[in-house]
Amino acid sequence: MPPRLNIFGVSRSLAIRPRPSIASHQSRILPVVSQRGFADEKDPNLSKGPNEAGLGHVSEEAADLGRVMGETQPDLGQGTPVQDILKRDEEGRDKAPAVIKEEIDSIKADAAESTSFANLLALGQIENIATGGHGTDPVNVDTVGHKYGLPELPLPKNSNLKYRYDPIVSQVTNLLMKDGKLGVAQRNMSFILNHLRTAPPPVPNPARPLVPGSPAPNHLPLDPIGYLTVAIDSVAPLLRIRSQRGAAGGGAALQIPVPLGLRQRRRQAVQWILDAANKKKSRGSGRNQFALRFADELINVVEGKSSVWEKRQVVHKTGTSARANLSYRPGGRR
Amino acid sequence: MATNCIRCLARPSLPPSFLVNASSSLRIQSLPSTASMGKRYASKLNRPTTNGPRKNEKVKGQKTLRIKKKPPPKTGKPPQPGERKAMRKRIVLSNTNALEVPGMRELDKGLVGEWEMGIRDARRQAEEGHWVLEGALGMVAKEGAKEGEAKNGEGVIGQVVALQGQTVDSLRAVEAFKTTQGWGFFRRPGLLIREESVMLSRKLIQAEQGNLRLVIDGERGTGKSLLLLHAMATAFVRGWIVINIPEAQEVTNAMNDYAPLPNTNPTLFTQPTYTATLLSRINKANPILADMEISLTHSLPIPIQSNISLSRLCELGARDPDVAWPIFQAFWAELMAEGMPPVLLSLDGLSNIMRESMYLAPDTSKVHAHDLALIDHFVNYLSGKRRLENGGAVLAAASRSHAPTSKSMELVLKQLVELQKGEEEITEKDPFEKSYDDRVEWALGVGSEKATKAGPVEVLKLKGLSKKEARGLMEYWAKSGVLRKKVDEKEVAEKWALAGNGVVAEIERGALRMRI
Repeated sequence: MPPRLNIFGVSRSLAIRPRPSIASHQSRILPVVSQRGFADEKDPNLSKGPNEAGLGHVSEEAADLGRVMGETQPDLGQGTPVQDILKRDEEGRDKAPAVIKEEIDSIKADAAESTSFANLLALGQIENIATGGHGTDPVNVDTVGHKYGLPELPLPKNSNLKYRYDPIVSQVTNLLMKDGKLGVAQRNMSFILNHLRTAPPPVPNPARPLVPGSPAPNHLPLDPIGYLTVAIDSVAPLLRIRSQRGAAGGGAALQIPVPLGLRQRRRQAVQWILDAANKKKSRGSGRNQFALRFADELINVVEGKSSVWEKRQVVHKTGTSARANLSYRPGGRR
Repeated sequence: MATNCIRCLARPSLPPSFLVNASSSLRIQSLPSTASMGKRYASKLNRPTTNGPRKNEKVKGQKTLRIKKKPPPKTGKPPQPGERKAMRKRIVLSNTNALEVPGMRELDKGLVGEWEMGIRDARRQAEEGHWVLEGALGMVAKEGAKEGEAKNGEGVIGQVVALQGQTVDSLRAVEAFKTTQGWGFFRRPGLLIREESVMLSRKLIQAEQGNLRLVIDGERGTGKSLLLLHAMATAFVRGWIVINIPEAQEVTNAMNDYAPLPNTNPTLFTQPTYTATLLSRINKANPILADMEISLTHSLPIPIQSNISLSRLCELGARDPDVAWPIFQAFWAELMAEGMPPVLLSLDGLSNIMRESMYLAPDTSKVHAHDLALIDHFVNYLSGKRRLENGGAVLAAASRSHAPTSKSMELVLKQLVELQKGEEEITEKDPFEKSYDDRVEWALGVGSEKATKAGPVEVLKLKGLSKKEARGLMEYWAKSGVLRKKVDEKEVAEKWALAGNGVVAEIERGALRMRI
């Protein structure tokens, strides 16, 4: 059998050289005749010698001077404002139009107030007191002239009207929702978080380690969202098992582990916790019983008592034993 | 059983016993004219008797689907009767996870004493001409009076003060705490001192020499019940005797037994069981009753010793509902005797008693709430018909959630607030409205004919918190570790504005409950 020949394989031996991202449009070859004017051109731009050109404009002159004298040179990339020119040019200042003269005067009057940081700070503090706050409230320079200052830029990612809750809170709320009743789900969520806040701190089981980096258990109740996150992320599976029908031969399904994204992992964990909470029996009466069972299940998860841990273990074990199937590609080898 | 087919009058060729059981048989389908026999019968008489094999009985060689019903798995002990309700109504006053707030003042004699000093200073200055006393709005500084004078005890406005252990026990006994309030978030129960609460405390202190009749009104969630609780706490600290009806609807919604009171015109109705529970609550809440002995002689249906304490008297009434009402009257007569401490009579949910109750009279007409003996007693003091002899106060808080409407009450309260503000145009009665009630007007001390000399009740209209108070409250939450945010001007202003200009329940909802 002759070896397979691949014409595309040849190109692999070629070195890849980076090309300059912006290609120069200038020709590399210098033109012999630098410029040719049209026949009817009245003032042909004839080439001049090195010293024949006149002086540049003010900034260019200042730049040249600075280069010679070793001083700071103005940035030629930007235009030079008239005010800057007038700063250096005393004679020009006297002869400047009245509008510019007034402008220069007003800048001088404000300068004493606006430049001093201590002044700004004091002004800000006075503003704070005037709006009914304390003098010790933080003052940033933006507060001056604005009631509550300007927002800090760039805006945080979740400063959207629609994303007012923590991402995990909104995800779990949506998973708690039944029949599209978001208001009820939000009330349940609020009950859950408040129950976590008032329940005694959990006693974790060393055999069921929590997600790494979780805070000490006695810090959890005062941070209910953190509590919720620790509980859910601790039992969230890393993968799911996909059953490929007929791939194992003889009609049997081939189990293929598939990694999950963060939201997918959390979703699976919440579904498991929901299942466990639905199987529990209410001890009291009233409309918060479901939320209470869910919150109790969360505490059980952190304490390592929940059956959700077994579910996670089963998935992980199956995944480990099925990792040989990872190389399976539908449709065979290409 | 000679039955015919309804349509073709043909007799079935199969015995009826076969027909009944043959719903799955193929043969029946070959007889279309009699096929309807299995299902439809012309009359009851034609229905086949159930002599044949039953539906689910196994016939040899036939497969039937059988679903066994599994009984639900029994796990654990079922809750005892009343246990689930007790869990629902449980009041938790402490959260051991919350941080202790350092430097918290207590609502004790010292603080109330400071408020008392404030009254004296104000009086002295009123004599000097700096202050004017003004109806329900309390002291209003005259123009020209110096700021910062007579400010005794006002430094605490906008702070949260803790309740003393004894006060908490008493308040719990009178059922002043409610399940909807957020007591369970914090290490120990605390109260925000607002401008209105200082004013009310001063009025209470002044009422020790007189009588205070006050209705607390305001929008939903503005803190009416908590202001009532503040008044009760102040009264307990001052050594008053507090009698509280925590939910007026429990008295009027016909959930208790009732009986007509003989020799009354119009007939009054007593509520024996409710009165007995009320007596037991009074006894539990006011430990000073144990030191007070009976001073008068009473004619009671049960024999009592002449030297028992008032606490023991209440106990006797609480034990036997049949004698609860006479004992309550005897107890009240003792309280009105000379040398007794002032009394605070309070009620929450005023509009429930300003209408007809759900109880029925013998002629199946509805009993007016004022014809219930207990409410009649309360209303006599609210209207000013009777006086609290040793000083004290009658307070009623309106309710805005799950409260019935009482047109007259709403109108009168509106008119009284307008009068206090000194508005020129007072709201008139709607000439086309039929549901106004003269008895309600009388109970609030207004009305043309039967108006009492004492004049109308005072009305305290609650509004949202000021920004200073909102800030104090939020700082307390932050110090307790419950609010995990920087409390600055911006945050306070945001929450305050979103809560309808400082409606306190909405601030709590926005900061602690729905948005954590």
